[in-house]
Amino acid sequence: MKALREAAEKLLREKRVSLVIGYEGRKGRPAFFAAKPEDCGRLAYDASCRQNLAAYLGKPEIRARLPVALVAPPAVLRSIVVMSAESQVAPGQVLALAVDGDSYLGTFDAAGAAELLRAKYSTLAPEPALLERVQGLLQKSPAERAAFWEAEFSKCTRCYACRAACPGCYCSRCIVEKNAPQWISTAALGHGNYTWNVMRAFHQSGRCTLCGACEAACPQGLPLMLLNAALDREALEEFGSRPGYDPEAKPLIGSWSADDDHSYMR
Amino acid sequence: MKTIETGRLSDLAQALSAAGYRVVAPMEEGGVVRFREWAPGLAIAPGVVPANSLKDFLFPRSEVVARFALEPGGFSPAPVERSAVKTAVLCARPCDAAALAALDAVFNWDYRDGAYNARREAATVVSLACSKADEHCFCTSVGGAPDGVAGADAILRPADGGRLLVLDALTEKGRALDQAAAGALAEGPAALDAPAALPRRFDPEAVGRWLAANFESPFWKEAALACLGCGACAYACPVCHCFDLQDETDRAECRRLRNWDSCGFGLFTLHASGHNPRPDQSARWRQRVMHKFSIYPQKFKTLACTGCGRCSRLCQAGMAIAATCERIEALGR
Repeated sequence: MKALREAAEKLLREKRVSLVIGYEGRKGRPAFFAAKPEDCGRLAYDASCRQNLAAYLGKPEIRARLPVALVAPPAVLRSIVVMSAESQVAPGQVLALAVDGDSYLGTFDAAGAAELLRAKYSTLAPEPALLERVQGLLQKSPAERAAFWEAEFSKCTRCYACRAACPGCYCSRCIVEKNAPQWISTAALGHGNYTWNVMRAFHQSGRCTLCGACEAACPQGLPLMLLNAALDREALEEFGSRPGYDPEAKPLIGSWSADDDHSYMR
Repeated sequence: MKTIETGRLSDLAQALSAAGYRVVAPMEEGGVVRFREWAPGLAIAPGVVPANSLKDFLFPRSEVVARFALEPGGFSPAPVERSAVKTAVLCARPCDAAALAALDAVFNWDYRDGAYNARREAATVVSLACSKADEHCFCTSVGGAPDGVAGADAILRPADGGRLLVLDALTEKGRALDQAAAGALAEGPAALDAPAALPRRFDPEAVGRWLAANFESPFWKEAALACLGCGACAYACPVCHCFDLQDETDRAECRRLRNWDSCGFGLFTLHASGHNPRPDQSARWRQRVMHKFSIYPQKFKTLACTGCGRCSRLCQAGMAIAATCERIEALGR
């Protein structure tokens, strides 16, 4: 971690960024904002860091301080690449201090992050245990699956911690907040909860980097990664979509191709 | 002393259920302990502070407060069912019960809230004293105690190294519950366990003094940098009670909903004009801290925080209101 701290300190000392966003080396590894070179000694990274710091790139107070650097394990590197592909961060405005386990891998811009990912992490896939749970769910009947999700979604209080945790949820006004017309019921109950949770996951299909921050943030322990991983597989198998490896790629749900499968239209 | 074995809390729930109470208690599900409605066969998990607070059963996250039936050419008000079920909350934490004074104050201030008060009157709150605390607990800093009785109708106190719980009724409602539960209780000696030792971390009066004088302080910008603007803290808080009224319509009727709201959201206090008096996350975090430690005590002579620590226990970004208060107290010195 010495190398990470030194790299962060150098970025601030050379004024290449105004802020380094990382994790603090105390219990719980909370987000830490180093604005001065001497703050960087408090940075730490390990596998217990569940927050995806790229979510801060959507926060106006952070955007006002660009360029910034983020401590970024592979899933967060992918988030930075996705945000770059979706024109949410301009080239050079975000630098990634790439980390993996105990290693600091270097400082990269979005294009460099994509290169690193393709070279070193081209086979990133959901955890086998997660895929097994997805498979288990897919083997159930639609009615059983619906009952499973109804029970899970009934716990949702609509605190939107999942949305806040996600770098992909950068809309300044989320569809759940639009009331003319009211697309999604605001009541934190049955139908509205179901629609909200499915909509959140669907909007991430082909954009989600499976970082797990939404599930980690959910106070009710909803298994959101089951939805994310199922949609990730759909996006890969049906459209060959691998978000976060190409800063020029168009987002799956925001693009259309004549080569898309149209067999469902009759 | 009236006792029950800690491992047989379900017997107490069963006796109360048979006596006509709906029983609410902390239970584990999917790795998360939360207060929910007990049913035979479910195990009560008294060991940790549940993820939700007992507020959920007095002021639910969404409720219909008015209905309008749509008719050709207009609409007419339709009745709203108001039924408060007689409820026993088992193993509420002293920090949950202490929150009731703050909720009672706001729901009976300029308007007596019928829905809240009906549920409040129908609820009997049985606290469970804490014999351990975690690093997020800070009830002793905000006037509470791990074995505090404020707001409780009865209290269970751990005894004999946690093996037994001793029940003490504190109010009329508590005595009625005590009688209803008699069949599940034993009579006998028990040595009470020491309540959790929890050093005081800050002085809320000193915090309040600094807050009253520092609405505009650069502190807020920096203190709120990590906040991502969700409602997790407010929704888990036993005292937070802001709500939003929203009309939702289908072909048959319009329902006026009262939903929980959170000062963490960007939409909170956003005016129709587009202006928001709390335009950024630092103004919203300031609102949260000031409401709890300055505005509320000025208005209702009670803090709007009971030190349960839920907000910091579950904040994904590590925002911790007790740490903020410690820093504020230091700024005021």
